[in-house]
Amino acid sequence: MPDAKRVYETTFIVNASLDDHQIDAVIEKVKDLIVKNGGEIRELVKWGRKRFTYTIKKKNNGFYVVIEFGAGGDIVAKLERHYFLDDSILRYLTLVLDKRALKARTAAALLAAEQPVAEAKPEEVAKPAPVAEAPPTPAAPVTTTTV
Amino acid sequence: MPYNRPSSNRQGPRGTSSQRGAAGQVRKKRTCRFCDNKEDYVDYKAEKKLQRFVSEQGRIIPKRITGTCAKHQRMLVTAIKRARHLALLPYVSDAVK
Repeated sequence: MPDAKRVYETTFIVNASLDDHQIDAVIEKVKDLIVKNGGEIRELVKWGRKRFTYTIKKKNNGFYVVIEFGAGGDIVAKLERHYFLDDSILRYLTLVLDKRALKARTAAALLAAEQPVAEAKPEEVAKPAPVAEAPPTPAAPVTTTTV
Repeated sequence: MPYNRPSSNRQGPRGTSSQRGAAGQVRKKRTCRFCDNKEDYVDYKAEKKLQRFVSEQGRIIPKRITGTCAKHQRMLVTAIKRARHLALLPYVSDAVK
């Protein structure tokens, strides 16, 4: 299947002792490499600086970046070679997102999209009620809440 | 629930059925959290969630204790190992070192 495109997810840790623009340059390089090899970036998430649970190359912090992209299979070897050669990248992990993962991903995205709406709605409903009923009698809101 | 069965068998010859019933009530029925939430994928990036399935020393807790089903335990194990690789979870916690 030479033409078969798959969805990959690659997470890598950039040396956090670099300046922000240097980190951005490292991320740009990875992005360029993916795009130049015929991949399309679906999502790029910068987690930012995070503390390690154990030291890597005598460092306690790292800048985490997650990129989700669609591409053919040959890109992974090139990407991992790039990671390997770049000294400012401390760790990397590249995965194929299978059907299950993609399904979970879309479900999570839907949930995230729904939640703010669901949270906002009760507030909207709750706010107008006291305002509308409070002016005539102060006891009115209490009766409405018990019902 | 294959892991509840041996314990009930063990108690069988010792006590009456009423005692067994009482023991059954005391023993909390564990269910797979991922099945309950209908989650079909365990994400290695959610380290807070994974921490629940790791002991204080950083070891993976067996499914007979957490109640996770075999299918989800397998996914969980790979997720934990991936999280360890990215230093999101410890291989060995500092307390043990």
